[in-house]
Amino acid sequence: MDDDFDIMDMDVPLPEELELLESSYRIYEQDDNLYFDNPPEDEPEFQPEQSPPPDLASPPEPQSNSHKRSRSYSNSDLDSDSPDAEKREKVRVRAEDLPADEDWLRYSPPPSPVTVEEVRFSKEKTLSRFASEIDGEVMPVTAPNGDRVYTKLDRYYGEDRATALNIGGFSSDLALEPISVLFERLDAETFAKTLEASSESQSVVDVPETLTVHETLTVHEKLWVDKYAPKSFTDLLSDEQTNREVLLWLKQWDSTVFGSEIRSTSEDVLSALKRHSSISHNQKPPGSGFPRTKGGHIWSNNKYTNSRSMDGSDNSKSSQDAHDAKTRNVGAPEQKILLLCGPPGLGKTTLAHVAARHCGYHVVEVNASDDRSTSTIEAKILDVVQMNSVLSDSKPKCLVVDEIDGALGDGKGAVEALLKMISAERKHDAGKQSLDKGQTEKKSSKKGRKIASLSRPVICICNDLYAPALRSLRQVAKVHIFVQPTVSRVVSRLKYICNKEGVKANAIALTALAEYTACDIRSCLNTVQFLSKKKETLNAFDIGSQVVGQKDMTKNVLDIWKELFQRKRTKKMERKSHDRKVSEFDTLYSLISYRGDSDLILDGIHENILQLNYHDPVMQKTVKCLDSLEVYDLLHQYIMRTQQMPLLVHLPPIAIIVHHTVAQVQKPIIEWPKSYHKYRTTMMEKMDILNTWHYKISPHIARHLSATSFVEDLISPLLHILSPPSIRPVALQLLSDKEKNDLAQLVSTMVSYAITYQKMKLDTLPNTLKYGVKDELTLSLVPPISNFLNFKDYTSNHYELSLPMKQVLVHEVEKHKILQANVKTVGLENGGHGAIEAGSNCIPFANTNNHAAIVDKKTIESQANVSAMKSNEAKTVSPILNLTNMVNAKDKVKLLDMGNRKKPSRTSSSFFDRFIKSNVKGLQNDDGSLHKETTSEKDRSPLLFKFNEGFTNAVRRPVRMREFLS
Amino acid sequence: MLWVDKYRPKTLDHVMVHNDIAQNLKKLVTEHDCPHLLFYGPSGAGKKTLIMALLRQMFGPGAEKVKVENRAWKVDAGSRSIDLELTTLSSANHIEMTPSDAGFQDRYIVQEIIKEMAKNRPIDTKGKKGFKVLVLNDVDKLSREAQHSLRRTMEKYSAYCRLILCCNSSSRVTEAIRSRCLNVRINAPSQEQIVEVLQFIGKKEGLQLPPNFAARIAEKSNRNLRRAILSFETCRVQQYPFTDKQTISPMDWEEYISEIASDIMKEQSPKRLFQVRGKLYELLINCIPPEIILKRLLYELLRKLDAELKHEICHWAAYYEHRMRLGQKAIFHIEAFVAKFMSVYKSFLIATFG
Repeated sequence: MDDDFDIMDMDVPLPEELELLESSYRIYEQDDNLYFDNPPEDEPEFQPEQSPPPDLASPPEPQSNSHKRSRSYSNSDLDSDSPDAEKREKVRVRAEDLPADEDWLRYSPPPSPVTVEEVRFSKEKTLSRFASEIDGEVMPVTAPNGDRVYTKLDRYYGEDRATALNIGGFSSDLALEPISVLFERLDAETFAKTLEASSESQSVVDVPETLTVHETLTVHEKLWVDKYAPKSFTDLLSDEQTNREVLLWLKQWDSTVFGSEIRSTSEDVLSALKRHSSISHNQKPPGSGFPRTKGGHIWSNNKYTNSRSMDGSDNSKSSQDAHDAKTRNVGAPEQKILLLCGPPGLGKTTLAHVAARHCGYHVVEVNASDDRSTSTIEAKILDVVQMNSVLSDSKPKCLVVDEIDGALGDGKGAVEALLKMISAERKHDAGKQSLDKGQTEKKSSKKGRKIASLSRPVICICNDLYAPALRSLRQVAKVHIFVQPTVSRVVSRLKYICNKEGVKANAIALTALAEYTACDIRSCLNTVQFLSKKKETLNAFDIGSQVVGQKDMTKNVLDIWKELFQRKRTKKMERKSHDRKVSEFDTLYSLISYRGDSDLILDGIHENILQLNYHDPVMQKTVKCLDSLEVYDLLHQYIMRTQQMPLLVHLPPIAIIVHHTVAQVQKPIIEWPKSYHKYRTTMMEKMDILNTWHYKISPHIARHLSATSFVEDLISPLLHILSPPSIRPVALQLLSDKEKNDLAQLVSTMVSYAITYQKMKLDTLPNTLKYGVKDELTLSLVPPISNFLNFKDYTSNHYELSLPMKQVLVHEVEKHKILQANVKTVGLENGGHGAIEAGSNCIPFANTNNHAAIVDKKTIESQANVSAMKSNEAKTVSPILNLTNMVNAKDKVKLLDMGNRKKPSRTSSSFFDRFIKSNVKGLQNDDGSLHKETTSEKDRSPLLFKFNEGFTNAVRRPVRMREFLS
Repeated sequence: MLWVDKYRPKTLDHVMVHNDIAQNLKKLVTEHDCPHLLFYGPSGAGKKTLIMALLRQMFGPGAEKVKVENRAWKVDAGSRSIDLELTTLSSANHIEMTPSDAGFQDRYIVQEIIKEMAKNRPIDTKGKKGFKVLVLNDVDKLSREAQHSLRRTMEKYSAYCRLILCCNSSSRVTEAIRSRCLNVRINAPSQEQIVEVLQFIGKKEGLQLPPNFAARIAEKSNRNLRRAILSFETCRVQQYPFTDKQTISPMDWEEYISEIASDIMKEQSPKRLFQVRGKLYELLINCIPPEIILKRLLYELLRKLDAELKHEICHWAAYYEHRMRLGQKAIFHIEAFVAKFMSVYKSFLIATFG
């Protein structure tokens, strides 16, 4: 029981929204009055009277609200007229479990000063609250019989009444609170007072007490940045929209983090709010008091929406409502990580801290100064996400990873750890979800899960959203980009602080300062503090002078390009003055040199410059710009070669020249420079293709060519030669001698240049060289040399061979290769010159014997040897020439051979059958003669039988003929 | 087998185009007085053919038996050691390689390979050829450092190793190296010589080659013998009996450049320049060297240009080509040339036609 209460106590403030407070604030005051005037027994009759308050409850001004709020959090002043809905809630809950109430207060020590306040407040507020609204509320608490309700209420009121009477004095609290709480508070107060006295001696106006309480003693004078850091949600300077969305995202975690209990209480808050809407109040007076009943859930939800839409104060309200509804049903938000990004000094870290605290989390921060290796961060995240502190401060934790983009190598560790958890979460999403729903937060966290997954909100903060380390995180995280707060907002805050600190500063100076630092609040405050040390008053001159160093701003590259291509409108008038030009140069120069990446910047200029709309009748501006780009290229190359890095300072002015030449007022459309990179990579790929091809071509041809001369001279004619239009895709035996000759020539060319056709998918083929073949069986050249002529918007007039013709060629090329390989092995075995010549001589023999050309037989070999001996050795022709001649001749013979043979079918598929058959036939026919010769020469040289069914090499292995014959 | 390869002269005696040079080389070899050689000249002139024939003259038919090797070197360069890989062609007596493929580390290759060759000095029983030959291609693409390191090694090991250097332009070979070599300029063959070669091939192939047609092929080939023979074969494939009017299919990239040129002539504006840039990228992607693009583009533009402007445009082309060679990003410079041309041409048009 105690534990439950503990959690409740921490959780109760969470569900309510800021708007809720704002809207209901006034009403409570009213209600207070009402209550004091009327006896509790009359409560039911108040209902009609209470219906007006919602009308009165116009949305209060944020300023007043924030003011009140800060006071409500402070220790010292205890105003009865600052009630909070949250407190009200608590009291109501406590009323339910009244018997345990006192025990709880006594046994569990208050976890933090804040809690103490809340408890105390709740006591005080009880008075007012019950009086105002609770006609419905109280009844359900003691629901069963009406009599009991009244008695209870009476009793409670009795206690509260006593407090109420003594309101404004601490004595009333003494009666109600445990002594420990009191002591603690007293301590805090004295502490605060002493602190104030000692440290803030010089400040004229005293600092809000809240701030002092939380500060440490050691520093004598604090940085104003810390001193005036926003402590509550409403103090935040950052954009309202962003604040709300961050808060909303955090709220989406509620169901997961706080479990089902908080859900019910949050509905109680809703119902508390709902009470102020007259409609709901009138329609369902008794029902509203039963939030715990079954129907209450949905009902109150609807009402919540109604009341919220009636408020009309929030612009993103409807979306929020939708989110709220979703949250209640689904659990944790879809994106488990929130990524806040924006330039430094806008209050990202502050927002994260404040929002998390506001939602009841204990903030654990990991920043650049901590160890950020993967293992450390993982341990830390696990710690945050899964452990529950055993200490009194048992708030759930919220991890804030600050400066996640900081150091690339280190930041990656953090990102990786987070991503790992998210992916683990995704995998087990379904199961986990139900698990989370079914169990309370405490139990599930105690269970100790095996898979590390995110069950607590994680907020990452970075300056550069597009840092490479964040690339993967960006896809899974909910990204919020901080925009600069308006100057007026910053100035008003600065003014407030200056007043507090007793620094005289006029609005002009502060505005100038804010503009100078690009609304970087931190930098503003530091500057003001610095200047306040020297002088009493601030003026614009101080700020403008170089006393304060200008911030080193690194801008996004895209922004720099925009800056370069866009001329500021205001500058037009002031252009004539020399100073302006100089300052413009300075800003641009610093902009570019801070970025450092001049290579990328100039690439971007090159990419986009021709797309700009500048007036240039005779292209002189273009020439000038391109010339300066050239200069950049030369300079860059020179610097790289000679390593004279000091010269790098001369690169940014080149970009500024371009700016002065082409900058326009209108907004440029800027693209990221991709084309140069694309050109580099594609060229490298193609170069690789060329080089591999070059190596594949036999050396006696390749040595005469270089890779560049391929494209320059060779490919274009080669493609023509490879696809002669004269050749007919008919069966080989129908070709005339001349055509066969051509075909043989073609095949030998293809073989010598290592070109063949391969099956390709249609989509990978270039369309320009397509020849109306729609089959899946599409053959294209390998290596893909036709791609080298495949220019954009260009159609070459190359003739494309038909598919059957290509198939024929593939077969012939394969055959030719095998032949060549055989000749080579034979040549190696017999040792050199003689064998090669023998190759040419063996052909007639093969012809007469009606062999399949692909089968290299012993007979050929032996005959060849004999003829080699006979043939005159004095041939002066080089062996290589000889070899190729032989190959040609052999090929011709083979073709003839095939033409002569009669075949049962003429389809191209019969190629395979034909060879198998002829192989077998040849074997049988030659058996007798073979046997004789092999027996005579068996021992002298081994016989090779190449088995090449269907031209697959899968089963190719040398087998001795005698194994066939035995 | 293509005719280019089929009818390539294998010996110095068979060389048709540069017969005088071939005879001189033969004399050098037979008198055992072979210095380092530097062959330079435009592509398709016959440098490699001559070198191969020369090697054969030196070492006999054994020089033809080459094997491709992918060799790796480990070089100690002070504190660190560098791993290098390069493909070489080698026979028993010579090694052939393109050191510029190794990029900026080419000088280590050059040093290493020569030292290695010097170490493994061939022991020739006849004592005739006490040296090996190292053929280096694309010497003009060697880095300055490699060329400097080459010059000392050349002298030091000249007893064991002869260098044959081959490049397109001797202007980018340092003076020091040029002075250590016998420079052999291989001119591009004249049109008559090309016709002669084509007639020879036609006779061998048994083709009827009309002299006018042969002249047209020679003219179209830009005095590049390889290209002439290839387009001759292309014509043969496309249409045989030859006619005088037969179309000679052009090189595709040249066609593309002439398209670009007509684009430029039609309109001069940044928008058009942007389109041209896309097309230039297309050419560069397909591995066509930027110098050749610029040269061809100039040629195409000059053909369509008014005579008045020709001189100025040539000047600018030379200017931008020079900068291109100094720089790194070729596209910047080609584009700048196009922009300059557009500017000059447009102001010329405005001046003449108002």
